[in-house]
Amino acid sequence: MDISIIAYALNLASIYALMAISISMIWSSIGMINMSHGATFAVSGYSAWYFSVIFKPIIFSFFGKTLLAQILMGSVLIGSAMLAGALCGLVIYFLAFLPIHDKPNYPVRSLIITLGINIASIQLLLYFFGARNKGLPKIFGFGRFEIFNIPIRYDQAGTIISTSIILLIMLIWLRHSRMGIEIRAMMQNPEGAAYSGISRRITAIPVLMITGSLAGISAALLSQTIFVSPTSGSIPLIKGLTIALLGGLGNVPGAMIGAILVGFLEAIVGSIQQRYVMFATFIFIITILIIRPRGIGGLLDNTRE
Amino acid sequence: MITRENKNPILYKVGRKHHEYRIAPKINKIWDRKRFPFTRRHFLKWRGIYNLKSLKRERMLSDKLPLWWLLGLGFVLITTPFLSNQLIGVSSIFCVYATINILWTLIIGTAGIFSFATLAVVGVAGYISAAANVYFDVPWPFMFIIGTFVGLVFGSILAAPSTRLDGLYYALLTIGVAEICRVFVVQLRVLAPQNGSITKVDSFIPNELFLQREGILIGFFASFVLLLLALLVWRLINSERLGLLLRTAKTSRENEAFAEAIGIDFRKARLVVFIISSAALGFVGAFYAMYFKSISPSVFSLDQLLILFAMMVIGGLGRADGAVVGAAIVTFIDKGLIELGPLRIILIAVIMLVVTIFAREGLTGARKQFRSFRKRKSGERRALRTEKNGEVMPEEATEILDKQEIYFRKFNKRLRDKLKKLITPELIEEHKNAPTGNHSDSLARVLNFFRRAETADKYALKKIYKEDSNSVYQVIAFSGVKTHPPRIVDDKEYSKLSEALHAVFVLRVNDLLES
Repeated sequence: MDISIIAYALNLASIYALMAISISMIWSSIGMINMSHGATFAVSGYSAWYFSVIFKPIIFSFFGKTLLAQILMGSVLIGSAMLAGALCGLVIYFLAFLPIHDKPNYPVRSLIITLGINIASIQLLLYFFGARNKGLPKIFGFGRFEIFNIPIRYDQAGTIISTSIILLIMLIWLRHSRMGIEIRAMMQNPEGAAYSGISRRITAIPVLMITGSLAGISAALLSQTIFVSPTSGSIPLIKGLTIALLGGLGNVPGAMIGAILVGFLEAIVGSIQQRYVMFATFIFIITILIIRPRGIGGLLDNTRE
Repeated sequence: MITRENKNPILYKVGRKHHEYRIAPKINKIWDRKRFPFTRRHFLKWRGIYNLKSLKRERMLSDKLPLWWLLGLGFVLITTPFLSNQLIGVSSIFCVYATINILWTLIIGTAGIFSFATLAVVGVAGYISAAANVYFDVPWPFMFIIGTFVGLVFGSILAAPSTRLDGLYYALLTIGVAEICRVFVVQLRVLAPQNGSITKVDSFIPNELFLQREGILIGFFASFVLLLLALLVWRLINSERLGLLLRTAKTSRENEAFAEAIGIDFRKARLVVFIISSAALGFVGAFYAMYFKSISPSVFSLDQLLILFAMMVIGGLGRADGAVVGAAIVTFIDKGLIELGPLRIILIAVIMLVVTIFAREGLTGARKQFRSFRKRKSGERRALRTEKNGEVMPEEATEILDKQEIYFRKFNKRLRDKLKKLITPELIEEHKNAPTGNHSDSLARVLNFFRRAETADKYALKKIYKEDSNSVYQVIAFSGVKTHPPRIVDDKEYSKLSEALHAVFVLRVNDLLES
C-alpha cells in the first residue's frame, strides 16, 4: 500500500466532514433533511467559476503574477462560493422551511421540497451553462512537497488546512457566540430552546445560511481536484448524508470521526480497485448501523454515560 | 299503515350537505344490495336516511371513491387504444409505476416501515428472473414465479433490521442496499456482459410484434391487469384484518402501546405486510424485465427512486388513490411531454414544490384539507359573534332535530334582552314594598317571565318551624333532576314571608341579568 494515500484520505475526509456536519446541523436544529445541499454545492461551484472568470483579468492586470494576486484570486473564489451558498440557504429557508415548519408532515414535506429545489436547480444550471465541465483556477498552485516522507500535493494540503481552520472557527463560534449557543440549544432540545425564548423561525436563518456557505466552501475546495458540473453535487450530497447518519444525526464529533473513517476507507479501497468504493462505503456504514443503530454518536454518548 | 309511492319526490335542501345527491327508493321494497360473492361485503356503501322536511325515505352513497376509481381506470382503459404508439407506451409505464407505488404505499403507509428498497427489490427480482430466462432457458410464465420467490426472500432479508433501526436510519440502509445492488450488477460481468444490462428476454409480447402497434397494445393491457392486481393486493391487505390491526398501532408510541396491551402483535403484522408487498414487487420485477424485454442498472438509480417517492407525496402519502394520481401526473409530464425537453423536469419540480407547500396530504387530501379549513374559518367567525347567550347559531341549528327548540331559544333570548331593560331600582323598590297584589305593567311582565321558567331555574321557600311558634323562611333551589333533592341557597333566614319573596325576586333578577 502506498503511503501517499494518507494525504488523499485526509483530503476526502475534510470535504466529507464539511458536508456531513452541515447536513447534521440542519437535521438536528430544524428537523429538515436537506436534499438540496447538492444543488447548493453545484450552484456555489458555478458562482465561483463565474466570478473567477470575471475577476481573473482584472486582478492579474493590476498585480501581475505575484503572491498577492494569488491570495486575492483565492479569496474571490472562496468568497463568491460562500456568498452563493448562503443565498441558496436563504432560498431553502423561504421555500422549504418558512411556509410549512409548523404544519403537519413537516419532515417528509420539507424533504420533498428540497428534492424539488435540487432537481430544478440542476436543470437550470444545465440550461444556462450547458453540460460541459468547468475547471476552476488552482488557488493553491501546482506541485507537491513532503512531510515525514509523505508526498502531499499543494491542493490537498490547502484543502486540509483551510477546512481545519474553517471548522475550528465554526466550532469556536458555535461554542461562544450568542447565536451559536442558541443554535446548539436548538440542536440539543428544540422544545426546551423554545421555552427559553429562542425563536425557531429566526434561528433557522443563520443555520441554513451558514450550512449553505459551508457547502460553498467545500465546492470551491473540491473543485481544485475535480471539475464543476451541474450534477457534481449529487455524490457529495449522498456521501454527506450517509456520513451524517453514520456519525449519528445531530452529532458534530460523530460526523467528524465518521468522515475521517470513510475518507480512509475510500482511499484504501480506491487504491486497490476504484470501482468498489461506493460498495465498500455502504457495506461499512450498514454494518456499523446494524451494530450501533444510533451511529458513532450513539457510541460516544453511551461511553460518556 | 298507508304508504304512498313517491313518484316525483321533491327534494328539500336540508342540513349542511344539502348538495349531496340522494335517491328516493321505492317504498315497501327492500333494497336489493348486491354483495361480493362468498362474502358479506357490499359493492357500494349505501346508507338509508330520512329527509327531515319531506319525511320521506331517501338513500345516499356515503363513499363515492369506488365510482371515481371506476371512472378513472375506465377512462384510461377506453381511451388508450386510440392513442398514438408513444402515448400508449406512456400509459403502460404509468400503470407499472402506479403498481410499484401502490405496493410501496403498503410498505410506507400501512406497515409504517420507511423503506426505500422498493426499486431494489424490483430490480433484483427482474435481474434474476431475466437471467433465468436468458441463460437457463426457463420459459417466460415461470419468470413470474421466480420473481415472486426472489422478492419474498429479498424482502425477508430486508425486513430483518427494520425492527431494530429507526425510520431515517432504516431509509438510509435501504438506499445503501439499492446502491450496492447497482454496483454489484454493473461489476458482475458473467451476469450482464453489456454494461450491466440483460437483453433479449422472452416475454408475453411475441418477438415479432415487439415495438409494433399490436405488441405495444398487448403490453398496455398486461400492465393494466398488473395495476388491477396491485389494487386487489392493496384491498386484501389494507382493508382487511392486517390493515385493521396496523391501523390500531399507527402514528404514535401511545397507539403502539395500546395495540400491544389489547394483544395485537403489530411488529409481526408489519413484517408480514412488508414481506407480502416485497413478494408482489418481485412479481412486478419479472413483469418489468418482460415488458421492456431487457433490464438495465438504471432501475436501481437514486434519481428514479426519488421521482417515484415524489409521485407518492404529490398524490398523497399512504393512500392508494394518491399513489395512482401522483403517478399519472408525473408520468404524463415526464414521458408524455417529451417535446418540452428539460423544461418538463423543471415543471415536475415546480409541481412538487407547489403541491407540497400548500397541500399537507397531497392532492387527494386537498379536499379534506379544504373542508377543515372552511370549518375552522366558520368557527372563527362564530367566535367573533359575542352576543350568543343561548341563541342557536346556524351551524348548531343543523344538528338540532327539534326545530321548535331553535325558535324557542331565539324568542327567549330576545325576550330576556327586552326584560333586562325594564329592571330599574324603582322596579325593585316596588316589588319590595308589595311582593304580591297588583303591579305596574313592567313588573308584571318580569314576574310573568319568571313564572314560566324551567323548574331548574326556579327557587322555593322552605318554612322552618321553631319552638316559640315564630317560624322562619329559607330560600332553596330545585336541582331539576329527579331523585336529587333541592339545595339550600344560603343560610339567611327571613322571619316575614314578604321579605323571603323579595329575596327570591332579587335572586331571579340577578340570574336574568347574568344570563
